[in-house]
Amino acid sequence: MNRRKMLSLLGISPALLAGATVDASSKNPKTAARVAPAKITALNPKGLPPPVQLVPMAPRLASLDGKTIFLVSDGFPGADHFLAQVALWFQKNMPSVKTEYRLKAGAFADDDPKLNAEIKASGNAVIMAIGH
Amino acid sequence: MPHLRITFTPHPVATKTADELRAYVEGNDPVSGKPMMKEIVDDLTVPLNAEETKTGMVNVSVGPENYGPDTPRNLQQFYHDNGMTDFLPIILPTEEMVDEMLAGTSHRPDEVVGKMAAGAYPPWGYTVKQVAINAVMAGCKPEYFPTILAIASSGTPSLFSSTNSFAYAAVINGPIRDKLNMNYGIGALGPFAQPNAAIGRAWTLLSKNLGNGGVPGDTYMGSQGNNLNYNNLVIAENEGASPWVPFHAQKGFKAEENVVSLFRGLGIVPGQGARGTSTDTPKYEEQFSDLFSVFTGFFGGLVVADPLIAVNLKARGYDTKEKLIEWLYKNTTQTVKDYKSRDFAYGFDYPRALKGLEPYATWYNMKDDEVIPRWPHMNDINIVVAGGQTNAFFQGGSLSYGVSVSIDRWT
Repeated sequence: MNRRKMLSLLGISPALLAGATVDASSKNPKTAARVAPAKITALNPKGLPPPVQLVPMAPRLASLDGKTIFLVSDGFPGADHFLAQVALWFQKNMPSVKTEYRLKAGAFADDDPKLNAEIKASGNAVIMAIGH
Repeated sequence: MPHLRITFTPHPVATKTADELRAYVEGNDPVSGKPMMKEIVDDLTVPLNAEETKTGMVNVSVGPENYGPDTPRNLQQFYHDNGMTDFLPIILPTEEMVDEMLAGTSHRPDEVVGKMAAGAYPPWGYTVKQVAINAVMAGCKPEYFPTILAIASSGTPSLFSSTNSFAYAAVINGPIRDKLNMNYGIGALGPFAQPNAAIGRAWTLLSKNLGNGGVPGDTYMGSQGNNLNYNNLVIAENEGASPWVPFHAQKGFKAEENVVSLFRGLGIVPGQGARGTSTDTPKYEEQFSDLFSVFTGFFGGLVVADPLIAVNLKARGYDTKEKLIEWLYKNTTQTVKDYKSRDFAYGFDYPRALKGLEPYATWYNMKDDEVIPRWPHMNDINIVVAGGQTNAFFQGGSLSYGVSVSIDRWT
């Protein structure tokens, strides 16, 4: 006698012993009523973002003709070589634009007041290469 | 500066030739699809719109206090679709479940725990209750909650915005390891114990939801990602089998205190199979050093040694971790040329050298063939003992120690 037949004779469902669950939704819909799953409410796991300070952007230039643009690297590997190509692009495509390359002092996020002062005094715009 | 005009360039830029970089510059912004230099010129010359000239403060909404009522299946999917999970099934944080979690601490639900930022972003704050919500989602029991609060209070995210795909580790010391039934024996670093798994997972969920981390393309730019971010490297130190002072005691805590210590770096690799394991006189310290020699010195070195190794090393004269660390510091070296060739040295240390910070300023003034330590400081190296003594194996991490936090403070 095989195991399935023996269990049936004992009045035990083989499926129950095998750990199968009785699930209304898995029965034939014609013969069993579907049980709607209970609805629950769950809490939002998000934290508390701070208000964002809106900083107005500096007015844009009407044209770059004859202007000095500082090309500033934050020290990210390769940023100097990349900005050198940006400078060459201006030389080739907008030759009246003068570019000045600078490496910002300090780590990536550090301020460099000395450089900022230089740019304000002698530059018209900044392109900053920010790597991270 | 939410309206800052930004143009993206393809990465990497390091290691690229001039021709390749010229192609970047003459090509398109990979995010917008527009010609890069036209976009830059426009950024500098197109007049500001009304949004860009606004001033003042803007509040950011993170949605309602709760979601539903809906079916558990729909809510699971909603949490996934809205980036609030690690995309594995979560325990839905009902009010009842969260209340049970809150019973794991004496701290008030509305107490502010700390702030967390996933990089150069404004940090988000969070309360005890908000940490509890994430702990429930991760599958934690209430008794794990003080450890999770301690991690949250550190403000250390386990997801960071860098293009590097950082990995994080938490070393747990003290009697709480046994109270929680943490695994520090066989398979200590594997998926074999609920507290090890769930505490680490909670760290990532709270980094996402409370620290605004892990939004690819926004607050997460790790090029490849890191599998350890799923539940991080949780290491309960095997204090009983270790012949050395436990890690937290090295950091000034009492042995009976419960402490979690956090690390950040690039990951961890196994060291077994190297020479020595099966010899009469295995020189594990040399194996550690060999393994470290492939790591960037920018992050610290972390050895996770099975107790068998620790006992052997003590018998051979390293009666303290500090003695072993001193040997590793002195004997794991590099040439100045190798050091300068590393991206991290160029990106982080060279600017420091320009500011005159040591040892970077001295290192950048030395000759290429001179030899220097792999790490700036001896305390960049750390040692933890974990494992089940089934074999004398170890793992080596490129992981820097950050901070140790009292768990007891959050009971």
